[in-house]
This record gives sequence, C-alpha cells and structure tokens, in this order.
Amino acid sequence: MIQLQNIEKVYRTDTIQTLALNSISLDIEKGEFLSIMGPSGCGKSTLLNIMGLLDAPSKGSIKIDEQSTGNFNDKQLAAFRNKKLGFIFQSYHLINDLQVLDNVELPLLYRDTTAKQRKQLATEALEKVGLSNRIKHFPTQLSGGQRQRVAIARAIVGRPEIILADEPTGNLDSAMGNEIMDILLQLNRDEGTTIVMVTHDENMANKTHRLVRLFDGSQVQ
Amino acid sequence: MFKHLFKMIWNKKKQNSLLIVEILLSFMVIFAVFSFALNSYSNYAKPMGFNYDKVWAISYNHTLETTNPDSVTLVYQTLLRNIKSMPLVVDASYHSGNVPFSNNHSTTGLTQKGVQVTGINDFFTDENYVSTTGTKMLSGRWYNKTDAITKSTVIVINNTLKEKLFGKADAVGKMLGDNPKTRQKIIGVIADIKNDGDYQVAAPALYNRHDTSAYKWMGKILVKVSPEADAAFEGKLYKLMAGSLKKSNIEIEHLDNKLTAYNKFTLVPLIILSIVAAFLIINVALGIFGVLWYNINKRRGEIGLRRAVGAPGAAVSAQLVYEALILATLSIIIGAFFAVQFPLLNVFDLPASVYLFAMLFAMIFIYLLVLVCSLYQGKQAAAIYPAVALHEE
Repeated sequence: MIQLQNIEKVYRTDTIQTLALNSISLDIEKGEFLSIMGPSGCGKSTLLNIMGLLDAPSKGSIKIDEQSTGNFNDKQLAAFRNKKLGFIFQSYHLINDLQVLDNVELPLLYRDTTAKQRKQLATEALEKVGLSNRIKHFPTQLSGGQRQRVAIARAIVGRPEIILADEPTGNLDSAMGNEIMDILLQLNRDEGTTIVMVTHDENMANKTHRLVRLFDGSQVQ
Repeated sequence: MFKHLFKMIWNKKKQNSLLIVEILLSFMVIFAVFSFALNSYSNYAKPMGFNYDKVWAISYNHTLETTNPDSVTLVYQTLLRNIKSMPLVVDASYHSGNVPFSNNHSTTGLTQKGVQVTGINDFFTDENYVSTTGTKMLSGRWYNKTDAITKSTVIVINNTLKEKLFGKADAVGKMLGDNPKTRQKIIGVIADIKNDGDYQVAAPALYNRHDTSAYKWMGKILVKVSPEADAAFEGKLYKLMAGSLKKSNIEIEHLDNKLTAYNKFTLVPLIILSIVAAFLIINVALGIFGVLWYNINKRRGEIGLRRAVGAPGAAVSAQLVYEALILATLSIIIGAFFAVQFPLLNVFDLPASVYLFAMLFAMIFIYLLVLVCSLYQGKQAAAIYPAVALHEE
C-alpha cells in the first residue's frame, strides 16, 4: 500500500545541515496496522509527514497504492491526500470556531459533495466513534478523549484507505488512550483501513501488527 | 463552501467585529468624499449660464454730495453713457453688489401658493444686463425702459426658481408671491447662472429692475469689453470712473480672474477632505493588512490542517480572500443602511443620484481595497508549509 525507498530528509539552514531521516525503506501492506516508535527527535513525525505527502523527502521515492507521488503538483497532492489519506494528530487540530459536525465535514468540503451528503457522511462517522450526541457541541466543550474521537471521525469521514496517526493517545490518560486505540483497531479490523501510528507507548505499539523503531533518523527494527 | 465561511465568520463574530467597524467607518468616509466630489463634478459639468470672459466688474462708492434724486440719476446715467461710448466697450450694466464670483450674497424668501422658498438670490440690475453678460433668456423677455411705468412691478426669475414654483408650467405672465402688496409680475425666465463659481449649484434667483433711486447703493457696474481691451484701456476706464465719482474708491476686477480665485476657494474643503480621506484609507489598508496578517499567523494550525485534509494552496488563498470580502460585504450592508438615509432625508439638499453613485463608487473602492489587502495575505497563507504549520500548533 505504501512503499518508501531510500528516503532521506535533510534540514538545511545557512550554517547547519541536519539529517532527519537516513535511507529509510519501508513496505506497508494494505490492511496492515504499523506502529513507529523511537525517542523524541528521531524522525518519527518527519517520516509520517513524508508518508502523508505533507513534506517532501530530500532523496528517495514514495509509492502509495502503486502511484508514484514524486511528480505530483500541489493540486494533485491535495486531491490525493483528500481521497486516500486520513490524519490524526496528537493535539487533535480541531477548529474551535466550528461545531463538531462541521469539523468532521471539513475534508468533504474539498470534494464534490452536496451539503446533504456531507451531513450524512459526517453523522455516520460520528456514530462510529460514539459521538452522535455531540454534533452541535464546540470542541472546547468536549474532553480530550472526545476531541480525539472527533478527530478520528474527521479522518475517516472521507473513507480513506490509509490513516496516519501521530501520537493519537499522547495527550490522553490511559483509559481514554485505550478507547482511542480500540477505535483504531476496530477500523483496521472491520474496514481494512491501513493505519500507520507514531507512538511513545510500548503497550499501544504492541497491539499493532508490526513495529518499526527509529533512532537518529535510521531504522533500527 | 460559502455556508462554511459564513459559519466561521458568525462563530467568530466578536473577533471580526473590530474589522467590520473599521471597514464600515472607511466606507462612510469614502462615501462622504465621493458625494462631495461627485456633486462638485456634477455642478462643474453644468454650463456657467453666462459669458464671463472680458466682463469687468467696477466697484464704486456713492460719494455725490447732492441729495437731489434727479441730479443723482443724471450723474449715474451720464456715467453709464460715457462708459458705453468708449471704443472698446461692448455694453455696460449697473448691478447690485452681489455680482458673480464676489462671495457677496443678498438673499430673500417668498411664499407662492403656500410653498415657501428661501435662500433666493436677490439681484438688482438694469435693462443692459442680458446684453452685457450674454445670459440666455429661456422664455419671456428681459425688462426695458417702458417697464418703469407699468402698473405692476416686473421681475425676471431664473430657471431653478421657476421649477421650484411652477414645475414644468410656463411662469411668464404669472404673479410672484402670495402677498398682494409685494406681488410682482414675471415677464421672463432666464437661464441659471452659477453665481458661486464652477463647483457650486445655481441657487434660485430673482432679477429685480432697479429704480432710479437705487443708483446710490448699487455699487457695481458690469462692463463687457472687446478682446482688444488691455491694461491701458483699463487705465482709461479707471480715470473716467474716478473723474465722474470723485473721492470714490474705484476697483476694476476681471470676472474670469474672480472665477479662478473663487474656484480655488471652493476646492479647498474638497482637497482637505481628500487628504484626510487618503490618510484614513492608508490607515485602513494597513489596518486590514495587519488584522489579516494577525489572523493568518493565529490560524497557521488551521491552514496546515486544511492543507492536510485536501485543500490545495489556491483554495486556502481563496478562502481567506472570500472571508475578507464577506466581512467587507457585512460592513457595506450596514454602511449602505446609513448612507441611503442621505437621499431619503434629503440631507444637504444634494441630488439623490449623487448619493447613489457615491455609494456605488464607495462600495467598489472598499471591495478593491479589501481585495488587494487580502490577495497578498492569501498568497502568504497558501505558501505555508502544512507539515511545519501542524508541528508549530
């Protein structure tokens, strides 16, 4: 589903050159649940951003669903992200000025859908994460766990084949973290969604199919 | 997408209110400037109503020692004859002190069939006025010597006064005023004269035929001279006046010079208002620029998120431009509500079309201003790198 070949990412300033990722090659199967672990600053999020086409590698190539993305322009990248990928972030990234339903509808705004379709799909997504009774709430009126469930609903509303989760349980206590993990496992099991998750939590990582460890930008496991 | 943007704006109404007020104030100021400028232009485009070129206004004081009315009349009539007999003089006419472009006004009011009209320019002239100034008669005739002995006092009115009192109907032959003791017979309607320069509208006016006792306080003689009349001729005219009216202060002014000076005087408020407006517009532009810039910096996470979920750079840019334009529209709707009161309540007595066009131009101006300011910021937002923006958040 996702093929990374010799990915290298270098951050350059006027005086310093930092190697964030060093020759990473990964092959993630369709329907696989992969977790990425490693100490802070080892390049986990950078790798996830590159997989999510939010960042470009300095070297190497990415193939997603057999499509090479290296030559995509901004518009093609945006359309590809919209259809194929769903994102979940540690800090939720919800828009506080919008109600829960509008937050979940967000990816559909950039597709050719009617308001009625958007509402229906968003409501279905919220039902899946158990928040159908909170659609009129604003994010600030929700707990951390509920916010993350809204973020998951937003990630799955467009029915993407891949979900990229950057420390989705990082801001939550263990009980809420487990709830979120259960939802992700269920998505992977029931709908066959490919999930790549960056985590610091060994217990969470152990629940996934495969674990990749990074250290100083290199893959060590 | 527009519904989504409206929701965003509505849910952030407190944060947006400052920008809405700022744009609203600019709209009102620009509306005022455009109203003033359009009204001035509209007046400028209208004909002057008479030929002021080579018309000189001679000012004099009544210094004759004799009080005998016949002697006074004889002196002034002889003086006018002598002026008219000068080789380069085309015609000459006595006129009250309120000659065109003199900033000297004499106004009156009257009631006609219950309709009260105030601020009517009250001129006193003689039978030579039309030929001296080249003013156009629209109907009827100008007065002549025989009108001195008619039963009713005769009067000529200008077109503006005629429209106010009689509308489209003919005014010639009708009596002016409701008071039987002061009623005058209208014998002619004359074209409007822009007495206060190019940029001022012609006020309603009455042209009274002065009687022989009025010479001593008329104060002005209008003299139409031929194009060859020069400073040497002006000197001769001065000598004639000084010789005829001893101890009098004589001043000869050219109406074209007076018009130029008067126009400058009229334009000063417009220039000052325009300078103030220009500074305000610059401030508003910087304000809008600053608020949008602040918004974008505050919303980097949101912009990063939108990019991540599938918005291309152009869509993010367009969203910010649309948001700014929606805010401008809200301000303009409120501003238009206030602006439309001006023609409805007839504030400052300007034509409704001036206010309506000023509103239209102010709207276009505000939209352009907001568009220019938001386009740059939209471009900046589109350039935000999603991975960096999401990480910062």
